[in-house]
Order: sequence, then structure tokens, then C-alpha cells
Amino acid sequence: MGGLHYRALLTAAWGLLSLAAHAQHEHHMHHVPADSLAWRMPPMDMSMPMLPGLERALPPVQPFLAGQMANPGDLPTARPARLLALADGDTLHLEASLARRHIGGKALVTYAYNGQYPGPLIRVDEGSTIIVRFTNALEMPTTVHWHGLRLDNRFDGIAGITQDPVEVDDTFDYQVFFPDAGLYWYHPHMREDIQQDLGLYGNMLVDPVQDDYFSPVHREEFLLLDDLLLDSHGLIPWGLEAPTHALMGRFGNVMLANGVPDYRLVARRGEVIRFHLTNAANARTFNVSFGEASVKLVASDLSRFEREAFVESVPIAPAERYVVEVMFDEAGEYAITNSIQAINHFRGEFYPHTDTLALVTVTEEPAQPDRAEQFALVRSNSEVIADIAGYREHFDRPPDKELVFSVRVQNLPVPIMMAMEIDTLYVPPMEWNDAMPMMNWLSTGAQVEWLLFEPSSGEENMDIQWRFRQGEVIKVRLFNDPKSFHPMNHPFHVHGQRFLVLSLDGVANTNMVWKDTAIVPVGSTMDILIDMDNPGDWMAHCHIAEHLHSGMMLGFSVLED
Amino acid sequence: MGQQLAFICRGPAILAVLFAGLLCLAGLKMPAAPECTASPEYYRIDLVPTRRVPAARSAVGTADVNFASSPFGVAVSADGHYVYDLTVLVSNLRAAPAGKAYVVWITTPSLDQVRRIGTLLPDESVTGRVDWNKFLVVVSLEEAGRDEAQRWKGPIVMRGLSRSGLMHTSAGHGPFQQEPCATYGY
Repeated sequence: MGGLHYRALLTAAWGLLSLAAHAQHEHHMHHVPADSLAWRMPPMDMSMPMLPGLERALPPVQPFLAGQMANPGDLPTARPARLLALADGDTLHLEASLARRHIGGKALVTYAYNGQYPGPLIRVDEGSTIIVRFTNALEMPTTVHWHGLRLDNRFDGIAGITQDPVEVDDTFDYQVFFPDAGLYWYHPHMREDIQQDLGLYGNMLVDPVQDDYFSPVHREEFLLLDDLLLDSHGLIPWGLEAPTHALMGRFGNVMLANGVPDYRLVARRGEVIRFHLTNAANARTFNVSFGEASVKLVASDLSRFEREAFVESVPIAPAERYVVEVMFDEAGEYAITNSIQAINHFRGEFYPHTDTLALVTVTEEPAQPDRAEQFALVRSNSEVIADIAGYREHFDRPPDKELVFSVRVQNLPVPIMMAMEIDTLYVPPMEWNDAMPMMNWLSTGAQVEWLLFEPSSGEENMDIQWRFRQGEVIKVRLFNDPKSFHPMNHPFHVHGQRFLVLSLDGVANTNMVWKDTAIVPVGSTMDILIDMDNPGDWMAHCHIAEHLHSGMMLGFSVLED
Repeated sequence: MGQQLAFICRGPAILAVLFAGLLCLAGLKMPAAPECTASPEYYRIDLVPTRRVPAARSAVGTADVNFASSPFGVAVSADGHYVYDLTVLVSNLRAAPAGKAYVVWITTPSLDQVRRIGTLLPDESVTGRVDWNKFLVVVSLEEAGRDEAQRWKGPIVMRGLSRSGLMHTSAGHGPFQQEPCATYGY
């Protein structure tokens, strides 16, 4: 009996504490209309107490939502992406515009390429060139970056470096060259934190010339992964003058596969599907599993792996791509999930968390022909091995360039500074979830400067302007300093070239693949080898959108021979 | 940065030489510095001796964690646990008495799971794998040949806590806390 009283007392006390915690969040504009430009605090665990002094805090920038000048009823409703198979020399008319979407029962004003979510899936042959006549029908300047392509520098889409911004109602013609087979994607390179998050992204699949480039499969599917930050009223506003969520990047709370939160596929028993995975999220790294199905990893950004490999899951950072073949050998339902060990800093604990990204229903009807035997084979790709072998002479030499990833902050609220200095007793190698949503939201690009620091020159970010000659092979050592104010994993992206990851923390990579983006965990040292083969003025940067727009980028030139 | 890394690797050696000189002057034996590895220093686990085994009171050691080989660089399991190769290096540990061996284990903070990593080799090292969020590395003195043992029985010689163990609850240990703190932190 005494135990029951004790439990009742505990329950009541816990309830009171939770109510008190909820009351702390009351000041953050929960009752404003969805189309209002007032700040609303992002959704968070409402039982988690707020830091004292932050109850009324707001980001020190103006809020932004798309379509404030438009009547939502006048906007077209976006449609699912369509496949566009284009031949060498074809012209594609691509328009970025406002569009209505319905996600999670909420009507949202978003952006879209050609009114589609994601943008049109462009399919071309290796070696082809297309013209993209781009029109900006947004409400802010933009450009289009053709991520991963080793194309002509003039068309890389970098405002201020390769072109002027495409102003509202203006057009720009991109000549897009596809020299390498593989999976690529296109997205804006101005205020990606807003424009990409609102839906401006699409895939490009470059079909190989070689017939048996991949093993035969029954079919191919594309999964463009993303997340969106919503509350009960709709989209949480973005920062107008500078990004919010500058510390960790903007993590969403609604997972999207191909633009929807409930993506479904139907397959037949025994069917082998080649999935082309792209992470288009601003900040989130996914750890993708396919239920009980077997998963074979075959390719990444710009090439196949030296050797195929069976894997349990696919950790995929923002902007990375992976190609996997999956065999569904039993009838039933398979959930494609993001499974992580999330962190609750308040309780100082890890906890398992799973998001369902998509569902695959496998019917009893057997797939024809039977591909089980071919699926079980793990191929070595002699062409890839031979290509990479030509670079091995550079693997063991000292690095040519070294960069340290760090951060500088100023004018953050004192409670955040204090909490983070305590919190960084332990920093995980990867941030799989937004474990500090309030502090992250309040940090903006006006207060946080992410750094690519070059120790040898003392220069940082865009003051770094490396110069190379075409054909040089450059070894770069990347060190993600774990003792900075707020260390975090960074997906490092190099424009216009391809690179190999040679080692992580001194351990040699034994199965290479050509990349344009690779994740550098906290505390880690990664050596990469860049094939500086494409002339022009380029960038390298962190592909967490909020980090990019908080300064984390450098410039380099490859001079033509 | 290479210079920084070089200093990180050479630093302990330089200090060890200076320390050795002082100890020699004092007529004492020098504890050898563990070998520097390429593992991320930040996640290195310092092994601290207990006072239960006199032969190990001045022992020093580290447990390094490196991501297991993975085509993704970062090695994680399907449920999101980091998968690490663990390298334990100990020095200044006197030879185990006859019939005894130093054995390395990993365990969860609540001690509800224990895995045997292996017996320390003659070079006072051992390697294994770990995929737990928070864990302790334990070196114990065991009867030799008990390779099938599920957990240690002998005295603990050294122990260390994973860096993740430093992630401490801000919820505190108030009167309403029902769980043992080891389940969520310390």
C-alpha cells in the first residue's frame, strides 16, 4: 500500500514537473496563424526544461516563409517527379517557382522545379551534353548547381564565381556535360538552407556506355531523402538575413522520401531492385536499412566501388549518393528505415530511434527471371581498380594541403554558451539527431562562423584560394577538431573534380570509390586524393547548408595546361 | 596540421624522456609510454590502475577506438551503434604470476553485459571490437586458460570509461528518479 502511495506521489510530481516544463514553452508564439511571419519555436520534447534565460529568446534575424506576397490559392499544386530521358544536344526548360504541397495534412507553400517534387529526374547517356534553359520564377535570386558533375566550370552554378545570380524572372542557359556514369543531383547554390529545404532538388542518372556496368536487376528505383521542419501550423520559418540553426544545421521532424512522408513501393517475391539513394537534407545524415532484405553496395558518387559488398545499412550524409541492390526474397512488408542511436543531452543518454522512410510491399507472385544467383555474387570491378591503380603512387606521400574544421562564435546568448561548454565534455562523432533544438534554432549565421582553417598559411574560408595545374593529383588532410566550441561532423564537398578517400584516422581505405562528398566525423583525420583534372575556379565546402552559409567554404583554381 | 599530429605523437615521447631522466635520478623504474596510434586522440580511453594488484599499481594504459573498416568510412550497425576496433595497450605491468593472465573485457555502465576481448599478449596489447554507446574497459587478473569465462572473477587491475560516458545527465539524481543512473548516464 505504501508503495502505491509512493508511486502515485511520483506520478503526480512528474506530471507537475512536465506541466511546468510545458509552461516554459508558452512564450514562443504557438498560437499564431501558419502564414504569419512571427517566429514559432521548433517542435521539441516539451517535457524537456528550457535553459533559464531562453524562455523568450528568438533568433536575431527576421523570419522568412515562402510566398508571403502570393495568394496560396493561385499557386499550382506540385506533382510527383517525372522522368525526362534526354539525348545528347537536347534542351530542357527548367523553371524554379512557387508551388503548393500537402504534407502531413498541412497545406504548404514550397518551391519546385517544373512544379514537381522532387524536380524532374534527368536521365542521359554517359558523355552527352544537354542545354538547360533555366528560369527563376522564385522570389529571390538563385542558381543551379549540378552536383558532382565534372562539367565546364562556367556552368557550375556558383554565384559570384562562375556566374552572376539568376535574378527573379531572369534566365540562364546551362550547358551540362555528363562525363562520368553515375548518380548526381541538382540544387540551388544560393541560400540552400531555404531553397533546397523548400524542395529545389532533383536527380540526374547518367547511364554507362558499358553494357555490364551493373549486375542485372529487375528494376531501378530512386530515393531522394530529405526532412522538413513542421509544427502543427506548418513550416517553421527560416532566417531571412542569415540561416537559423547555424550550429547543427536544420534538422527536420518529418522524413521525406521522394518528397512525401509515406512513400510506398510494391515488389514481387524475389525481386532485386537497384536503389539510387541521394541525401538532399540540409543537415541530417541517415542510416538507411531495408528491413530484413539483403543489401549489396555497388556504387557511390562518381563510380562503382572497387569491390561490391553486402552491408547492414547505408549511412549517407548530406549530398552523398549510394547505389545499392536489394533483394526482397520473402512476401510481406519491408520498412525502409533510418535507424540511429539518438542523443538526449538533458538526460545524458543515447536512445534508439527509428523513422520509417518508405514501405515496400512484397507480393507472393515470384519475380521473373530468378536473379538470386546473380545477386549473391560480389563483383570486383576491374575497370575501377585499374583506374584507381594509376593514382596509388600518390597514396603514401605527405599531404600537399591540410585543413582543420573548426568554428568561431560571437554574441550567442550566455545560457547557450554556458550549456555548450559543459555539454561538450562529450561530442559524438556524428550528430544523428538535433539533440539541442532550442539552442540550435537560436544560433544564426550572424553569430556562428564555421571555419575551414589552413594551418600552413593561417588563412581560413574564402581567404584560402589554392591554385593547381590541370592534371595535378593533390593529397589533402582534413582534421575535424574535436576541441572547438561546437564540433560536428561535416560532409566535405569538392566541386568539379573527383576524389578518393585514402584513409580515416590513419587506417587505409581498402575499397575505394570516386567521390565528390565525404563525411568527416568529429575528432577524425581523413586523407583524400583529389584528381585536379577539370580547369576553372571552383569551391570546396561543408554540405550542411547552414554551415555553408555560415562561411565554411574555400576557393581553388585549376589552371589549364 | 601534420606538425600538430606529429607533436601529438611525439609529445608524450618527449615528456617520457624528461620524466625518465628525473626517475633515473631518483633511482626509480620508468613507466614506458604507450605507443602512439593514429586513433582519434579525443576518443582515447585512459586506463587507470586500481590498488588491488600490487604488480600493477604503476601501470599505464590506453584503449584506442578506430572505426571498423567500412566502405562508408563511418562504421555503424543497422541500429546505429558505432562499430569500433578497440586496441588496448598497457605498459609497466609486471608479468602475471604463474598460472595467471591479464584479461581485457568490455562492459556496459550498468555491468549487465560483459564481453571478453582477450588475454593481453606478451607485448601487453590486445585488440577487439565494440559497438556499445557507453562502455568500460576492464583489465583483470584471471586464472590462465579460462578462455570461455563470461565475465571476470579475478581482481580488476585497470579500468577506463569510454568518452561517451562523460555525457552526463542534467536531470540529476533527484527524488523522483526511479531508474538506476547507470541506465542513462552517471
